[in-house]
Amino acid sequence: MSAPLLAARGLDYRYPGGIVALRALDLSVERGRKLVILGANGSGKTTLLLHLNGTFRPARGAIWLDGQPVAYDRRSLVRWRCRVGLVLQEPDDQLFAATVEQDVSFGPLNLGLPEPVVRERVIEVLEALQITPLARRATHTLSFGQKKRVAIAGVLAMRPEILVLDEPTAGLDARGVTRLLDALQKLHEAGTTLVFSTHDVELAYAWADDIALFHEGAVRVQGEAAAVLRDREAMEQSRLRPPLLLEVADLLGAGQSGAPTPRSRESVVALLRRRLAGPASPVPAAVTVEHSRHR
Amino acid sequence: MRAIDHHAWSNRWSDRHPAEKLVPALGLLGVALVSPPLTTAPLVWVVAVFATVFGAGVPLRALLGMLAAPALFLLAGAPFLAVSLDFTEGFALRFSPEGAHLALAATLRALAAVSCLAFLALTTPVVDWAPLLRRIKVPAGVVELILLVYRLIFVFAERAVTGRRAQAARLGYSRFGHGLRSLALLAGGLFQRGLEQARRMEIGLTARSYTGELRVLRAEQPFSWGRLALGLLGVGLVGTTSGLLARALP
Repeated sequence: MSAPLLAARGLDYRYPGGIVALRALDLSVERGRKLVILGANGSGKTTLLLHLNGTFRPARGAIWLDGQPVAYDRRSLVRWRCRVGLVLQEPDDQLFAATVEQDVSFGPLNLGLPEPVVRERVIEVLEALQITPLARRATHTLSFGQKKRVAIAGVLAMRPEILVLDEPTAGLDARGVTRLLDALQKLHEAGTTLVFSTHDVELAYAWADDIALFHEGAVRVQGEAAAVLRDREAMEQSRLRPPLLLEVADLLGAGQSGAPTPRSRESVVALLRRRLAGPASPVPAAVTVEHSRHR
Repeated sequence: MRAIDHHAWSNRWSDRHPAEKLVPALGLLGVALVSPPLTTAPLVWVVAVFATVFGAGVPLRALLGMLAAPALFLLAGAPFLAVSLDFTEGFALRFSPEGAHLALAATLRALAAVSCLAFLALTTPVVDWAPLLRRIKVPAGVVELILLVYRLIFVFAERAVTGRRAQAARLGYSRFGHGLRSLALLAGGLFQRGLEQARRMEIGLTARSYTGELRVLRAEQPFSWGRLALGLLGVGLVGTTSGLLARALP
């Protein structure tokens, strides 16, 4: 097997004051996959993400890019950050320019691209994230959801190979989440490797190819999404409950016959409906079990 | 300030090249300053208001609201120009005709001048001044700082407002003493958050390859000589009219 695109090996990190944030952490980001870093609040997810683009330097261990440990000198850092784009959780921490267009142009200009190219890129990214009408708007007049998309646009305009997002859905309403995930899906189809952190198990199940389960500063398990979420022991240890959709799908016997486990709400509902309509189904019993679990 | 900013971004002329607004406005200001105020100033004032309200489409209320503060200030100050203190026979406060004339002239001229500046402030977003500042050789660092501060004012204003609301909801301003203490806590908290914000913003910027220079694209604002000429023509008309009026009315 070839080396992962981006990897963390044996990371240790302490915050000033001695608080241990990461402890012997291992993580692999495979090319072209959607990886979710799943963990409770305060488990160290953000600290890990800040290592992935070289903002923080581990006390021990290293970050590997294309099978090579990365150095922390200025030139390596610049090259590293061109390939790994990081979007912070709070858009106001990232948007510094007075207008949307200007803010998005910042990254590509730093890459040393000529102005006409930058202008093209700005137009292109704004279009991809469906925020073209905002181009000339003042940053401070945007809603939270709009700011969030502008922050992502500012990083995307640099065309990173890997896009790392810290809690991208936090604070967005259902429609905002859907639009964001649609945009990310398009990026994924265009070949961008995606990493994002969340504590939302339902979201992780709906979206991820792979999941890294995070607990107390280390990745407990990493693997194919459904497999990780079915690992009861690890999930309990991380103080997370398995997603309802997966539980229902499993109760309905999905995925046992080798077919892929349904991921979306619609497909699980359709499965449930088929079972309820079909003859001699084991559904009543399953529903009762589900019921009592939540009482 | 938020109202000014809002109108500067949303008026009909906000996309126009700043020079097309700056040059006529300064021209009008010049006319108001050099011509005899009693005839010129009202004319300048009317033209500036007209341009702001009917040209750029800024609501009259917003303009009057902005002019209210300097107008009050002028009205409060003018009476002192109209009276004179006389110390020859002890102490007497005397109304003087020249003083009154001077007061009227100063008030009218100042109002006219302020309305020209209000036109500029209400029609041109702060950001548009940056290229102009660069052109007159203001150091790049200073221009960057101006724009960054402009952006952060709104971030902090929002935090200050929500912080104050949260304090008020817990009766932080129910008594004068409580109010003072809450305000001090709020200010201290904002200062700390400012430092944290700076640190996080640096992380955000370095993630986009920040190397110490905040370079961004300039907005494309096509400059039109025609519109500038039109503006200057208006200024010329005001100047001639006021000259003719001054000659006609002794």
